[in-house]
Amino acid sequence: MSQAIPVAQLKSVTMSIYRYDPTLDEKPYMQDIVIEVPTDKDIMVLDALHLAKDQEPSLSYRRSCREGVCGSDGMNINGKNGLACVTPLSEAVKRNKLTLRPMPGLPVVRDLIVDMKQFYDQLEKVKPYLITKSDNPETERTQSPEEREELDGLYECILCGCCSTSCPSFWWNPDKFLGPAALLQSWRFIADSRDEATEERLDALEDSFSLYRCHGIMNCVSVCPKGLNPTEAISNIRNKLITREK
Amino acid sequence: MTEKDNRPVNLNLLTISLPIIGLSSILHRISGLIVFLAFPLLVWLFSISLESEESFSYLQNQFQQLLVFKIITFLLFVGFLYHVLAGTRKLLADGFGIGETLHSGKLISWVVFGLTFLISLAFFILIL
Repeated sequence: MSQAIPVAQLKSVTMSIYRYDPTLDEKPYMQDIVIEVPTDKDIMVLDALHLAKDQEPSLSYRRSCREGVCGSDGMNINGKNGLACVTPLSEAVKRNKLTLRPMPGLPVVRDLIVDMKQFYDQLEKVKPYLITKSDNPETERTQSPEEREELDGLYECILCGCCSTSCPSFWWNPDKFLGPAALLQSWRFIADSRDEATEERLDALEDSFSLYRCHGIMNCVSVCPKGLNPTEAISNIRNKLITREK
Repeated sequence: MTEKDNRPVNLNLLTISLPIIGLSSILHRISGLIVFLAFPLLVWLFSISLESEESFSYLQNQFQQLLVFKIITFLLFVGFLYHVLAGTRKLLADGFGIGETLHSGKLISWVVFGLTFLISLAFFILIL
């Protein structure tokens, strides 16, 4: 006896997507694309984007690992920054509508793709690598489990840019305020027991913009797809700055 | 890039969600500005009230009779109260690291709004 293959129930969702092609458009505009999504399972916003791209092949966005590791598909989803690949459609859709815009504050290259140069420039300033001055030991530079634990909640950052591009201080001063992502990395190396450049790192942050432009509104914490807390890292650096002996 | 950057930037604040702590921070600035601008006015009124017994009772009378006077006093009180409470939240975060998790930060922001509302309400009833 043959059984009918169950056909998935579908429902339509209207996606409103920020479109801009520098070779065609004077100005960006919002385009509505209606997609059909299954009702019996949840899909991610990135899957919804693929469905939209089937209809509109010129639609452009970055994506790579599609599982929240590479950090390519950061975008503004219904007003809140996040990674499209790990944001369930059921959470994102409001009143049957899904609005997607590029991450705020950075120049748009095309559609949902932004130029991350300003973001990377700020990261470069904090020298996000281990700096040592002592002679290389015979073996590795070791850490105790406790010292290693200090880096938890810091090393996990994937540099997607969701935090910095949701930060008003970064919007207004993207060249002077380092932004939550770079400052989290700064603390990651200040807190590292193996790093020997703490004083230089702190010196570089002691101006009114680099670090002190943070006013603790915690947009960064509320959007971080990895659940990290840049506000706390910034606070740790600040405490270190004001308590150190020169 | 040497040529002028003509690329668009998505920064329409009406489309970007603003969590409660961000709202609290913006209101802290606005209330601070209002209180700062109103400060000369308050000092001026204070100096009038100190001139003589008559000037004091004149001001007192005006306050009792003019609704506008009461409304302005009430609004300045709310602004000042909110600014102090929200400022205390920031001091707690900066000085003691209190309210630096998302949950506690949101909670304290709500407490600031709640206290502002309750104390303002009490003040409103008092001057009515």
